[in-house]
Amino acid sequence: MRRRSLSERTVKIQMRHYRDSGVFLKPEGACAIAVGTMLQSREVDSEQNRSAPLDAGLIRDIDRIMRGEGIVSSPSELRVYECDGWTIEKSVPQLLVMPRTTEQLVAILRALYVGKIPFVPRGAGTGLSGGALAIGAPVMICTSRMNRILAVDIANRRVEVQSGVVNLHVSNAVKSAGFFYAPDPSSQMACTIGGNIAENSGGPHTLKYGVTTNHVLGLQLALPHGELVDIGGPTEELCGYDLTGAVVGAEGTCGIVTKATLRLVREPQSHRTMLAIFADVESATRAVSTIIASGVIPGAIEMMDQLIMRAVEAAFHVGFPDDAGAVLIVELDGLATGLDERAAAVSAMMRADGAREVKVARDEAERALLWKARKRAFGAVGRLAPNYATHDGVVPRTRLPEILRLIVRTSEKHRLAIGNVFHAGDGNIHPIILYDERDPDQVRRTIEAGREILRGCVEMGGSLTGEHGIGLEKMGEMPLLFTPDDLMVMSELRRVFDPLERSNPNKVIPRPGGCVEVSAPHRQAAA
Amino acid sequence: MSESFVPSAYPDLSQAASQIVGKDRVRAPRESESRAATLIVEPASVGQISTLVRMCENDHVTLAPMGAARTLSMIRRRPVVLGISLARTNRIIAHEPADMTVTVEAGITLGELNRSLASDRQRLALDPAFPDTVTIGSLIGASQAGPIRLSEGRVRDLLIGIQYVGHGGRVVRGGGRVVKNVAGYDLMKVMTGSFGTLGIVTEATFKASPIPENYEIAIARFSNPQDGFVAADAIIARISPVHIEVLSMDAGVALGHSEDFHVIAGIAGNAPELEYQRSVASNALGSATTILSGDEAQTAYVRLRDFAFPENSIVGQIAVPPNELSRCVRGCNAEFRAHGGSGVAQLWMEHGGATDVQAVARWRSMARSANGNLRLLAAPASIRDSLAAFDQPGPGAFELMKRLKAAFDPASIFNPGSFVGGI
Repeated sequence: MRRRSLSERTVKIQMRHYRDSGVFLKPEGACAIAVGTMLQSREVDSEQNRSAPLDAGLIRDIDRIMRGEGIVSSPSELRVYECDGWTIEKSVPQLLVMPRTTEQLVAILRALYVGKIPFVPRGAGTGLSGGALAIGAPVMICTSRMNRILAVDIANRRVEVQSGVVNLHVSNAVKSAGFFYAPDPSSQMACTIGGNIAENSGGPHTLKYGVTTNHVLGLQLALPHGELVDIGGPTEELCGYDLTGAVVGAEGTCGIVTKATLRLVREPQSHRTMLAIFADVESATRAVSTIIASGVIPGAIEMMDQLIMRAVEAAFHVGFPDDAGAVLIVELDGLATGLDERAAAVSAMMRADGAREVKVARDEAERALLWKARKRAFGAVGRLAPNYATHDGVVPRTRLPEILRLIVRTSEKHRLAIGNVFHAGDGNIHPIILYDERDPDQVRRTIEAGREILRGCVEMGGSLTGEHGIGLEKMGEMPLLFTPDDLMVMSELRRVFDPLERSNPNKVIPRPGGCVEVSAPHRQAAA
Repeated sequence: MSESFVPSAYPDLSQAASQIVGKDRVRAPRESESRAATLIVEPASVGQISTLVRMCENDHVTLAPMGAARTLSMIRRRPVVLGISLARTNRIIAHEPADMTVTVEAGITLGELNRSLASDRQRLALDPAFPDTVTIGSLIGASQAGPIRLSEGRVRDLLIGIQYVGHGGRVVRGGGRVVKNVAGYDLMKVMTGSFGTLGIVTEATFKASPIPENYEIAIARFSNPQDGFVAADAIIARISPVHIEVLSMDAGVALGHSEDFHVIAGIAGNAPELEYQRSVASNALGSATTILSGDEAQTAYVRLRDFAFPENSIVGQIAVPPNELSRCVRGCNAEFRAHGGSGVAQLWMEHGGATDVQAVARWRSMARSANGNLRLLAAPASIRDSLAAFDQPGPGAFELMKRLKAAFDPASIFNPGSFVGGI
């Protein structure tokens, strides 16, 4: 497998597939995976197919399909596509194609199928786990030009879009009718619906409204051999297996989604967006548990600690006090009537748990400023250090104080500043580790610290990722959560759609026969 | 009974199963179970279930998980050989009130689970009829839901972790115990609504929900169904009710109401929210709207939820885009209970011989006219052979489903032959 090697790579995981013994071995001894009969009968492309220079005839075929437009093959232009939002790993594809139509996309897939060439789907490249890296996949297929909203059906609260449509454009298209598309990742101004579907993306408002999978009713999927299938549908009940549910969150390993039927949510009549200021993160997290336990489900509960607050204040002048330990942004939404009572109740809970001040956004402009501060917090952190690494982990929300203490200990142990800005209501943490990539030892410590925090999440009964996906980044950690049998079944599920593992190979599940080198989780982008 | 019982087709099976689960845990099927399986075993652990699955695979014995065997006995044309009762694996493994998650074994009933959660003012917010007969396994397997699906979602929205026994007796887990989690493939979605055809669900973790404060019901009568649906749509356009059910005459009568069509809306919230919703509902439903609150509302809700379809009837469920529901239901010429806003309705008619098949064909064509589908929930055994319980999905999707079945159940022993397209 061809990979660009990075000097700071410190962790190396190799997996070899021994067909005879039916065993994967991870030389570092972290796991040994027994492989059942399924794997023995399957056809695996040779590594040769996955890394050899593309056949000139194939490139001509694709050029013909694309009519010479939306196709990139020059190494300098391809550099743009060497990574996604996870910037530490890089791998330049040999060819990039940007089809405008489903017909073009299908024709490309057929040509690749005949040529036995694996491919990697890509939306806007805002993913944060390296899911759109061309690893062992010479051809990258970018859906961002397939960006038409095909049908808006307000009566049924549905919208049908091509997969390259930008997330925010869906909400914009239905705003005048009083609706919105609920999943709202921080990158929503750029990220595509197809990418959201691949990663099962979340965002602040998923606390109340659910993540992507709760809002996708049906898909048109181009299978890796170039066949289009319609799965799911416009109705809530379906006949047969929930294939849509299997494809959402499969990180592009089941083929390429070309079209999606999404559910729309009616805009609440009103919002109350509150900023609560706490002396420390402990009391802020206690307030989160109190609010949720009371039976109130806010639209969002977001937390920022002091480090993040100071960075955000310097960038946006929101009015965060310099000496506070943590703030919560709590947004209640619903009927206009009764909302002030709810806000008063939540405000009282937060004061009882130690909030020294609770401010309510007075108008839409103040609300917008708070959300801008939250969603761009990552960018603001860029002022504090030359580099930063954003992580994504989940704990049961009652364990938030515990994981935050672990983060403090980790920060002290590795002598690295770590900030926290995250979806507190869901227990979905995003620690941001500040470092300077010019110092190899800092890089090493950053990598170590990230792993320790993730391991802590798993030990506290949580998960490796709440919304960024496993991608390339966390493949090596999957055995912390799942047994060899679990992983084998997941591979079997993937091969229902992609028997030859040609759609986004080398992601999510450590691939038998492959040799995967994973360096550290660590990237710079919005979460 | 167990000692003398030996199913004739498999003389050794009873003995082999006894060695795994104990002699007194192998028995003949009771009542409706006999339509689902010829022999029932009651394993006490996941380990025993795993051993049973391996045994069945080796001997090509068909099997199916069952709770009260209601779902299976209604849709199977012929019983599977071995029914795996989950009655003995019925513990609540963990309830974390502050995290609002609950992990249970699959044999516990929804009713028992919700009585336990209620002490923390929480519930698993799914409300199929007669929750004391619905095990968590069948809730997931048949993806059951009731009136509050409108506000609370379905199994697929609330199930966050799963454990099941699959082929080779493998014990497989997906998801986890946290409310937000995208690690690995979504095995919860794959198992939900799979009718026991991919494996035996043994454990599940759900999001729990707060029991709504101040629940009230608004009931109104209509002389024709269209006016009822129009009123229901008018409510949904302005507020988000807990549920909004539109009922045909017989359904209304069965619930103790007059011989009219009825709309029954549930609302919840704090005092000002309730007042506002009450006025929206009354405006849409007309001056004769009755508002029930407190215990009266609870009693009315339980009757609405626990609706029993008449004996000896054919029952189907159509699913269409929500704004097609009124047209489709009215075109079916049947009694109905419709979940407004969800596009789902149950239809029934008395089993009447030769016309049954035509009636079901009419329901099916009405559903298809709106890009929807029909599923039969119950049909007398005598006509089951001439009716398909499920609509067949499109050819591409169906091909994938067959591949999924082959991958998860290569020996084809898990409840074979009664799911979509004979899967």
